[in-house]
Amino acid sequence: MSHRWGMVVDLDRCTGCEACVVACHAENNIPTVGEEQALKGRAIHWIRVERYYEGEFPEVRVKFQPVLCQQCDNAPCEPVCPTYASYHTEEGLNGQVYNRCLGTRYCANACPYTVRFFNFFNPAWDKPLHLQLNPEVSVRQVGIMEKCTFCVQRIKSAEVHAKMEKRDLREGEPTPACVQSCPPKALVFGDLNDPESEVSRMTRSRRGAKLLGELGTQPKVTYLQREDWNAKNI
Amino acid sequence: MERRDFLKATVLTGATAALSGCEKPAQKLVRFIPEEDLVPGVATWKPSVCTLCSAGCGLMVRILPGEAEVVRGGKLGTIQMGLAKKLEGNPNHPVNQGRLCARGQAGLQITYHPDRVNGPLRRSGPRGSGNFLATTWEEALSEVVSKLGEIRSKNRPRSLRVLSGRLRGQHGELVRKFLKAFGAPPAMVFDPLDEPVLRQANLLSFGQASIPSFDLARTNYLICFGADFLGTWNSPVAQSAGYGEMRQGRPGSRGGFVQVEQRMSQTGGNADEWIAARPGTEGVLALGMAHVMLKEQLRPHVQDNATRLIAGWSEGLPDYAPSPVEEKTGIPGKRIERLAREITAHVPAVAMIGGLPLAHTNGLFSALAVNALNTLLGSVGTPGGMFFAPRPPMQESEDLTEDGNFVRDLLGAKLDGTDVLLLHNSNPVFATPAAWKVRNSLAQIPFIVSFGSFVDETSELADLILPDHSPLESWLDDVPESGTNRAVVSLAPPAMQPLHNTLAMPDALLTIAHQLGGDLGKALPWESFQDMLQDSMAPLRTAGGMHPPPSPEAFWTQVQEQGGWWGDEPKQFGRLASPHGRAAVKFTEPQFDGEESSFPLHFQPYVSQAFLDGSLAHLPWMQELPDSLSTIMWGTGVEINPKTAQRLGIEQDDLVEVRSQHGSLMAPALLSPGIAFDVVAMAMGQGHDNFSRYASGRGANPVTILAPVQVAETGSLAWAATRVRVSKVGKARPALFSGGLFERPSELQSR
Repeated sequence: MSHRWGMVVDLDRCTGCEACVVACHAENNIPTVGEEQALKGRAIHWIRVERYYEGEFPEVRVKFQPVLCQQCDNAPCEPVCPTYASYHTEEGLNGQVYNRCLGTRYCANACPYTVRFFNFFNPAWDKPLHLQLNPEVSVRQVGIMEKCTFCVQRIKSAEVHAKMEKRDLREGEPTPACVQSCPPKALVFGDLNDPESEVSRMTRSRRGAKLLGELGTQPKVTYLQREDWNAKNI
Repeated sequence: MERRDFLKATVLTGATAALSGCEKPAQKLVRFIPEEDLVPGVATWKPSVCTLCSAGCGLMVRILPGEAEVVRGGKLGTIQMGLAKKLEGNPNHPVNQGRLCARGQAGLQITYHPDRVNGPLRRSGPRGSGNFLATTWEEALSEVVSKLGEIRSKNRPRSLRVLSGRLRGQHGELVRKFLKAFGAPPAMVFDPLDEPVLRQANLLSFGQASIPSFDLARTNYLICFGADFLGTWNSPVAQSAGYGEMRQGRPGSRGGFVQVEQRMSQTGGNADEWIAARPGTEGVLALGMAHVMLKEQLRPHVQDNATRLIAGWSEGLPDYAPSPVEEKTGIPGKRIERLAREITAHVPAVAMIGGLPLAHTNGLFSALAVNALNTLLGSVGTPGGMFFAPRPPMQESEDLTEDGNFVRDLLGAKLDGTDVLLLHNSNPVFATPAAWKVRNSLAQIPFIVSFGSFVDETSELADLILPDHSPLESWLDDVPESGTNRAVVSLAPPAMQPLHNTLAMPDALLTIAHQLGGDLGKALPWESFQDMLQDSMAPLRTAGGMHPPPSPEAFWTQVQEQGGWWGDEPKQFGRLASPHGRAAVKFTEPQFDGEESSFPLHFQPYVSQAFLDGSLAHLPWMQELPDSLSTIMWGTGVEINPKTAQRLGIEQDDLVEVRSQHGSLMAPALLSPGIAFDVVAMAMGQGHDNFSRYASGRGANPVTILAPVQVAETGSLAWAATRVRVSKVGKARPALFSGGLFERPSELQSR
């Protein structure tokens, strides 16, 4: 059975701690760009935690919302690519073929979630920080677009292992780095083709919603709304 | 990593890396993946221990073969070795259960930091100039030995002092044994993130000078006074795991959460109800709720140890009726009544206190008040409440409370007779108010040895730097104090070989002890720290956790494989000892430094989500991590309410001066609705003068301008007791993370 990878973000569990952000940096060789470039809006975070204030002091509330590539089924980034660098994989991911990409940045323009990042420079790591690099993930060069891959290297690795052991993938296997790290278990990942998987079950939740779903992008990430406090009658 | 991966993880034992030119015996003793077992592209996972905060989480380190440039025997060369690539939580560890916070994961960059001290250094310029020249381990260690021999022969053993960060586990035991055998006073501990006020309160209320744990997964209602327990406070990963379960782990039952603070923290951002009581009145609010509960008989009237400490408890807390409490806290009496009814309607409920409320001059009162509230709620030592984690049954030769307090000794002029100072894992020059003049005091000491891996504001004063291995290159142990109901010792062998010409601090101390000989040699008979660790673990073999107890050798292997030892899950929470409390305490007004007329704003530094107290500001991943609330990267800002800013003629991104009676600093203004009108707040951690290329000269350090006000009962810094004034001085360009949708999440469309 082919897989269709999806994610659920439970906003009632998410605390905004950003463990996912660093997990992603470590796993995917995301460069740090430094203050000057960060000022120009060129910092790269494949997953970010958005913060929204509501109301004014003292009746002020905050909402945290982790945003990563929504791996849309109807992805605006894909048809605009003149070189087919942005494409749809068989397992439903919005893939990015780095050595096809020539940096038109049309995909970044088209993406309503602003989760695609452009490399304005060749990335550099002060030695010996380069030793931290994960050899299973390519380092992106100048002029290349990059984005969340749902940790495709982890997916592939799990699939190969399962194949070697002549079995199907199990629930909870594979796990992207952000999902693995999440202290309150706000992120859940799995196969949407398996109706019994935890991610499928949670996707069907009453609290579920798609980010900017009205655009018709058909994201494979589902957000479970934070619940309001409901005191017992007192 | 997940549990099944863990089972596959290999721990290799017995093999020694055949590296020519290993200089120190310790480098030969540690166990690494033998070269012939390194397969390109195949990862092994090895356990380790996170040492970055007091939580003591267990790690799994992903090791892949690679080529590294290393110095061995004075020669630079490229070798094949196992390299740490990623840090994840240890799935079997009772504290963090496979999860890991942002800071813990960034700890990887300590090992590979380009500005690590890569070999022993001797000062070459004037003290504090930052000029050092390389030396050899033989020369450096023999210099320390001769200095210590000198003070011993002059019969001045008390002129040796140790200044250290947290000293737990066998690292602490080793230092204690060393100092005792030498005849020196106990080590001075300086950990800005410790909670001495909470320890004192818990000693008085419950007979335990410990930081409590919380059974959040089973609580129905949490009221938290100031603690950033989902971000930086105590054991954030364990507490976040419990929080997730409290919210959505029990179908049909979602726990409620109220946060009391004046500046919305990352934790406060998650609260159902956010309450900004006036600074220093948190304890009044807690007792205001207790008053209502007593008056309306919402809970059985408790009269025990914790409540007996509060004046007027047996009379029903007449001073804390809703109207006087409203006057003091600024919170409407009706709201207090509602909160009291709500919390009692939702037991098991629990109250928590930490951070800023304890940093007022009346912090002890607030902590005792919250302890009493918990007692009234029946949530002490019960499911869904608070409890104290059991301690592992190890032999501890010394009482932990024997450790000295750096601030007390500093201010009591007890450093004056110090001839030799050993400095380990602490940076008080950065983390104390300028008014305490720590730098001057330390600079008077004739001979300072630092075991630091980095040159920072304190270690730049050292005469010798004997660089420690990075944590991943070291034998590690820790005894987490909180975050689980099981007794835990985190312990792990080195995950990788040392990259540089460094030596583990415990092994350096052992070498020094052996060369000095005499009582010291006898007190520390171990050839290496590894041997000491192995001996220390022996009593745990039959103390539960592994059934039936394995042979001593198998036990030691298993401890290394699983990353420590943990006892059995107890059937109930541990019993509390008899309390030490006597006097009945009353609310006293918090004292602030600076007249309200000229310094109208409360200044609240807070522990940084990325840098803690500043000890992690050298990590580029942490510098480029947008702050959860302000989204600032590579800098610091002054958070101010938009209305206050408007009154002062300040706009977003203006450069402002923050002035207290004790100094001033400049930083960009960050307008935030989540802060009280009379409060400005700043994250700690930036503003380093000298702490690697990534942190030096960046941002401002709020601690420097704090008033040297102390909490009377503990002598610790009352770091929320400073008033400031803020004025615009120009324009600034803070790097705020520009990514974002700008739509509100409430506008999310359903399918």
